[in-house]
Amino acid sequence: MASLSTSSLSFKAPSIQSTRTSQVLRKPLSFKPISFGCFQSSKNLRLQISCAAKPETVQKVSDIVREQLALSADTALTAESKFSALGADSLDTVEIVMALEEKFNISVEEADAQNITTIQEAADLIEDLAQKKPAA
Amino acid sequence: MVDKGQVISLCRFLLRAGRQYPDYNIREYAKRRTLDGFRMNKNLTDHSKVVDAYVEGKKQLEVVERLVKVYLAYPPKTKNIMELKLQ
Repeated sequence: MASLSTSSLSFKAPSIQSTRTSQVLRKPLSFKPISFGCFQSSKNLRLQISCAAKPETVQKVSDIVREQLALSADTALTAESKFSALGADSLDTVEIVMALEEKFNISVEEADAQNITTIQEAADLIEDLAQKKPAA
Repeated sequence: MVDKGQVISLCRFLLRAGRQYPDYNIREYAKRRTLDGFRMNKNLTDHSKVVDAYVEGKKQLEVVERLVKVYLAYPPKTKNIMELKLQ
């Protein structure tokens, strides 16, 4: 099963599905170490996969991004929108990450924070940290 | 030589330190001031000026951290009205 995951990580799924396999496929390559951790934790629980972010998390992240960047209500925010495409520079990204930290009560590491470029990545990181926290 | 990553992490450290203040006013001020300060110097091209700004930022970080300890020794007794949720 582990070898299956490494080969499947090289594909990028085009759309958000609720099935198990395509949620795994959606994981970007830079998150490879985290996905192994996800596999280990998912084997002893429920059907819902723990790797990909829940839609409500993505929605909350989008709301915060929209507020921070002062976007109008009709700009479309998908999970794959990049912050730079929305007009955010690196300082805005720092501000967004700080706002997300406060909202979700998590603590993002330096290295992780540098790598966040899209809304989906932010949501995935939040889910990951929210999971690890109760275990700690 | 100060690179972009160092500047961004200095900003992050300053924002994190500023978050720890118990007093609403100084907390908001710290956040506002760091973001304004970094945005003001965003377009500097002369590297020596960038280094000067970075050193200044480091000094401010020390000040903020020292003051956090002082403020935490005397936390405010009541919550500021701005912190209360609207009902």
